[in-house]
Amino acid sequence: MSATPLLELRGIDKSFGPVQVLRDVAFAAHPGEVTALVGDNGAGKSTLVKCISGIHPTDAGEFLFDGRPVTINSPRDAAALGIEVVYQDLALCDNLDIVQNMFLGREKRSGIVLDEPTMEQMAAETLAGLSVRTVKSLRQHVASLSGGQRQTVAIAKAVLWNSRLVILDEPTAALGVAQTAQVLELVRRLADNGLAVVLISHNMNDVFAVSDRIAALYLGQMVAQVKTTDITHSQVVELITAGRSGGLGLTGEPGGNGAAPADTTPGAIR
Amino acid sequence: MAVAMRAGPSQDEIRRQNLGALLRYVHVHGATTRAELTTALGLNRSTIGALTADLAGAGLVSEGTPKETGRAGRPSLVVRPESGRVYAYAYSVEVDRLRAARVGLGGEVLDRREMDRPRNLVAGEAAPLLAGAVKEMHQSVPPDAICVGAGVAVCGMVRREDGLVRLSPTTGWVDEPIGAALAVELGIDVPITVGNVADVAAYAEHARGAAVGCDNVIYIYGDVGVGAGIIAGGRRLRGHGGYGGEVGHMVVVRDGVRCDCGRRGCWETEIGEHGLLRAAGRSEARGRDALLAVADAADRGDARAQTAVRQAGDWLGFGVANLVNIFNPEMVIFGGTMRDLYLASAAQVRSRLNSNGLPACLEHVRLRTPKLGDDAALIGAAELAFERLLADPLN
Repeated sequence: MSATPLLELRGIDKSFGPVQVLRDVAFAAHPGEVTALVGDNGAGKSTLVKCISGIHPTDAGEFLFDGRPVTINSPRDAAALGIEVVYQDLALCDNLDIVQNMFLGREKRSGIVLDEPTMEQMAAETLAGLSVRTVKSLRQHVASLSGGQRQTVAIAKAVLWNSRLVILDEPTAALGVAQTAQVLELVRRLADNGLAVVLISHNMNDVFAVSDRIAALYLGQMVAQVKTTDITHSQVVELITAGRSGGLGLTGEPGGNGAAPADTTPGAIR
Repeated sequence: MAVAMRAGPSQDEIRRQNLGALLRYVHVHGATTRAELTTALGLNRSTIGALTADLAGAGLVSEGTPKETGRAGRPSLVVRPESGRVYAYAYSVEVDRLRAARVGLGGEVLDRREMDRPRNLVAGEAAPLLAGAVKEMHQSVPPDAICVGAGVAVCGMVRREDGLVRLSPTTGWVDEPIGAALAVELGIDVPITVGNVADVAAYAEHARGAAVGCDNVIYIYGDVGVGAGIIAGGRRLRGHGGYGGEVGHMVVVRDGVRCDCGRRGCWETEIGEHGLLRAAGRSEARGRDALLAVADAADRGDARAQTAVRQAGDWLGFGVANLVNIFNPEMVIFGGTMRDLYLASAAQVRSRLNSNGLPACLEHVRLRTPKLGDDAALIGAAELAFERLLADPLN
């Protein structure tokens, strides 16, 4: 838990035509911590993630990475900084094995042939580093894996590249109780290994089980970013559904928890 | 009482202590270079060399060259624990199963056996089953291997001085000498140490699991009952007779539901197996699978199961808040069935903890599940046996 966030966003605006999706959004992700990003459908979670990962350009605002201003104009820029996203659909190929999936498009070569031993070793080391014990063989096809194992492979793929910030979009959606538990433990371990983790989830149990901070989006605005030790379940639900809860959120003290914007730029008010 | 003047430690004592420190270091951290040992133990290079030679001579460690260092100069030799050759037997007596394992120095589980345990099985009946598993495992042990002893983890109150299981409401054991019974059955001349499961699991997680580097830890272990292993200031807190940590019998409801221990309103009547299954309307069901079935039903939207899980989670947070306020731990670990309950009801656990915990005590507390999983009981039981070796490696 360090004082300087690994990634810090300030004053992010994003519009699609006449629709303003993000308004003056501030957001921070710290190394060694899980930051849960919560919000109702359409609150702007996915758009925010796509801005971070370089898929959408932002209209305004600044990005700080490691305290230094950076620009992210493409997914390649994001990957170069060590930002990886695991999307809900996982983007795994059923007809390839675990190692092939983890190195898809970034295969190691030895001369003109693929360096299979190195790739297999790196994959094994990554899974071992995450204490993954559920996968029997690295050479089994992804089609034969359970939902939890697929999620595990997708997450391992994201941390293979010396990534520093991993964003997980609803990693436990569609999983049963036992597999959800395993994935949650994996998410926690990523952060305990020193990565900054952003967890998007609608499930309050998942959020409270593993997060250190909770960031709540409401209609495109970041209404609160608070420590998980300082908030209750019902307060988070209020922030998601009404944008405010007691002293937190839209009517709260500006900057009370680094949440509400202190001064809004004229362009943001529409 | 007058304090006798103590002379400084003798050469022998110092050497024994250094041997123990070096062996403990590689036991906990795995293969370590001599250079790292020099720094970590604060001893000079020639001493480390001599100690390593002694331990290697006794077959406890081996030395080898590291893979590649990428640095100039002669690489420092790597000292490894002889995990395959030096081992302890570990047993775990749980409510619904018996487990036995062979654990190598360094904490690696080399072999294991598991069997169901009928809930009324007493120590005299459990011992032959466990001994049978050990005899089976013993067949594949290399002839030159060294067995340093055995450790037993029991979900019950264990007398510190002799390992007698005084009371284990969940297994129905009262004054059961499991250690002695095992010694008779095994017929091998190794010391057997008995400990409480939460206690030894906490120790294992502290040494090589989720709580490495944390000196104030509470490990809450649940099955039918609930107990805690408490580490305070880096040491296991066990109480005068060894019976400490029975947090499941902290009374939380005046005149509440009757507990297996005979009293009413104990914490485990709300968060243990009986409580959750009762609230879910499944009182006839038993075991961890039944608990997971409730969590699964709750996840799928069964209203009664949801209420039961949320209520139990709220009670879990209630008790954890009390413990956090009393002990100010930096980490709380949820093991056994408490892992499943915590992950299924974390919103309730956290919310109650955040409401009832004192802000200063909440500041740095981390909630975690075990890194070693269910193996913590076995690895911890083995640690009880290794402890004697580490205190005096060459004896």
